[in-house]
Amino acid sequence: MARAMFRRARGGALVVTLHTQEVELLVMTARDMIAIVEEPPDGDVRDRLYPRAYLDPTEEKAQGEYDALVHGDLVQARRAALAAVADGLEGAAPNSKGLVEVNLTPEEESQWLTALNDARLVIGTALGVTEETDTDYAPGDPRYEYGVLYSWLTQLHFELVELLLDEIGETGSDDPGVIDPSS
Amino acid sequence: MTAPDISEITIPDTVEELLGAEEARPDVPWVVLVWNDPVNTFAYVIFVFQKLFGYSRAKASRLTNQVHFEGKAVVASGAREKCEADVARLHAFGLWATMQKDD
Repeated sequence: MARAMFRRARGGALVVTLHTQEVELLVMTARDMIAIVEEPPDGDVRDRLYPRAYLDPTEEKAQGEYDALVHGDLVQARRAALAAVADGLEGAAPNSKGLVEVNLTPEEESQWLTALNDARLVIGTALGVTEETDTDYAPGDPRYEYGVLYSWLTQLHFELVELLLDEIGETGSDDPGVIDPSS
Repeated sequence: MTAPDISEITIPDTVEELLGAEEARPDVPWVVLVWNDPVNTFAYVIFVFQKLFGYSRAKASRLTNQVHFEGKAVVASGAREKCEADVARLHAFGLWATMQKDD
């Protein structure tokens, strides 16, 4: 059985355990992604990271106000989350088994969740993944390395999400906030 | 009694204009939509709906299925400002969210 990359310590901290190779890959990826979330190239990646709030073209004024209000904070939050992942890992020394263990604060935990997914959004969109295709490209294919990276990030993110889903449980406030047409 | 002074008022040209003014009221409900995309996983979208809106697992799963199989789902509604805040939070989690008037 593979080691758990994420586990909850008794004191409540989320513990991340990665091999030094994985740490290097994740630090490099997070640093690369910072430049992209700050200034994404025009096109699919930009549209995916920063979608419009309003599809209606007659709402240009409202869209402009939304961008003025939200965009800067969104860029800043993404940059800070990616930097938190990279900084936290870079400062940690491996143990005798070559494993790096990092305890995350609640804020860092949330930053890991979104930073890993933002990296997936950028790479997945750039690779043009669809629900029908997988990312197992043949060695030699120019997409091979990023395909492997995308799969690994997906596995890492999935493990974190599964843990958080277990913890958040089944019940909700059941104030839907949605108008129920049947009521 | 004195008659109302009608010299200062202008009458809308059409009934449609009157109805249009009604539609522009700020408390007209808006809806927040989440759209399907090939990168976000089922588990992550379910988690985000539970976390942001306090939905039960059952409701969050039903909405996520609707996003996946029908292409989009209404996940929240309310006044424009509330919906803008919801869209901003969904964007921060990387979900593809938009808002529109509830027609």
